[in-house]
Amino acid sequence: MTQTQITWIEGSVVEEEVHMSIVEISQATRAPEDLIMSWVSEGVLSPAGSSPEDWRFSGESLKRAKTAAHLTHDLELNTPGVALALDLLEEISRLRNQLLRQNLG
Amino acid sequence: MKFRDYYETLGVARGATEAEIKAAYRKLARKYHPDVNKEAGAEEQFKAVGEAYSVLKDTEKRAAYDRMGANWKNGQDFTPPPNWNEGFEYSDNNFGGGQSGFGAGYEGDQSDFFESLFGRGRHTAGDRSSNPRQGMNFKGQDHHAKILIDLADAYNGAKRTISLHMPSQDANGHVSTQERKLDVSIPKGIKAGQNLRLAGQGGPGMGTGGAGDLYLEIDFHPNPIYRVDGKDVYLDLPLAPWEAALGTTVNIPTPAGSTLELKIPAGTATGRKMRLKGKGIPSKEAGDLYVVPNIVLPSAETDAQKEAYQTLEKAFDFNPRTHLKG
Repeated sequence: MTQTQITWIEGSVVEEEVHMSIVEISQATRAPEDLIMSWVSEGVLSPAGSSPEDWRFSGESLKRAKTAAHLTHDLELNTPGVALALDLLEEISRLRNQLLRQNLG
Repeated sequence: MKFRDYYETLGVARGATEAEIKAAYRKLARKYHPDVNKEAGAEEQFKAVGEAYSVLKDTEKRAAYDRMGANWKNGQDFTPPPNWNEGFEYSDNNFGGGQSGFGAGYEGDQSDFFESLFGRGRHTAGDRSSNPRQGMNFKGQDHHAKILIDLADAYNGAKRTISLHMPSQDANGHVSTQERKLDVSIPKGIKAGQNLRLAGQGGPGMGTGGAGDLYLEIDFHPNPIYRVDGKDVYLDLPLAPWEAALGTTVNIPTPAGSTLELKIPAGTATGRKMRLKGKGIPSKEAGDLYVVPNIVLPSAETDAQKEAYQTLEKAFDFNPRTHLKG
């Protein structure tokens, strides 16, 4: 009997183990760095650190940045529009979870 | 191959102006955007709308499309007539509307119908890898995919072989979708909506640039028993009225696959949830498992059963509607 050796790829959970630089966020979302800076100044993303070079984005930022990139690209939203849409989407998600907890979802 | 009526998709007349087409597209794109609309089928609708707009917003493509005539119906079997697009020229195949150049794209988007007419292109324009520049070193693209796992996998960790459909490009710039199998270790404690980053499993780099990363966004298969909210898990527990009134002990299944003995106290009410601390999805601070009692009334069918309800009525001086009296 032959046995094949499988190498299982280990990943890291972005939300818990990873902090990302502006370069990594830009690479992951394919959004240019100056756009990411405008999201930070609008409060869409809140990295730790004082200047863009030492900004550290939490893993949770990746999801927001991905959505921001999609909305900017697909719906041509400007930065304040993206910020508003993200806040509203989060509110909807919070309410949906509340419904789910009450078994109405 | 099925014909696609792009005017019908956008809900505009064949004679619609550019402004009308753009307005219709914007409205539908907002409605069906997968980040906004979580209903099943929304993403397909969004792609269909994007494809329709990419043709109708482009004067050349629209003219070529219109030349096929107005008699075709959505979903009708279709073969492009020979030389149907003679004399037309398309410089790009990007669609999706808007300023192109970025946005982690939706891969494998175009319908067969679109590809047979306008060729195959990438939704995400401006890919570094699609515009190779000689002598440049670039890190490969990051890729994104969604995968569904079982809730039990989050409790126990798991090893799963997943298949992804990834666009890949040959030396001549032709794009094709290839199936790629990956053996992935699912870490214990992962939650829906989180991303698993697999370093170096994205697109190949150029020059000395390394490969990009692959991000797997995790979601759970729908579960008939449990509901999940972050790291907390909810289980609806049906109880007979006498079990709730008198108390009992029941066995409940946990998502991890084991069984727990749960004491139901006397006087348990519907909806008054019981928290099993730390029995939710494991993590540094494990989530909780909530058991939500739901008292189920058996229907009175036989004479003996009806009599039992009548005995109950006599035993209680019970009016559940006292609060309705002014």
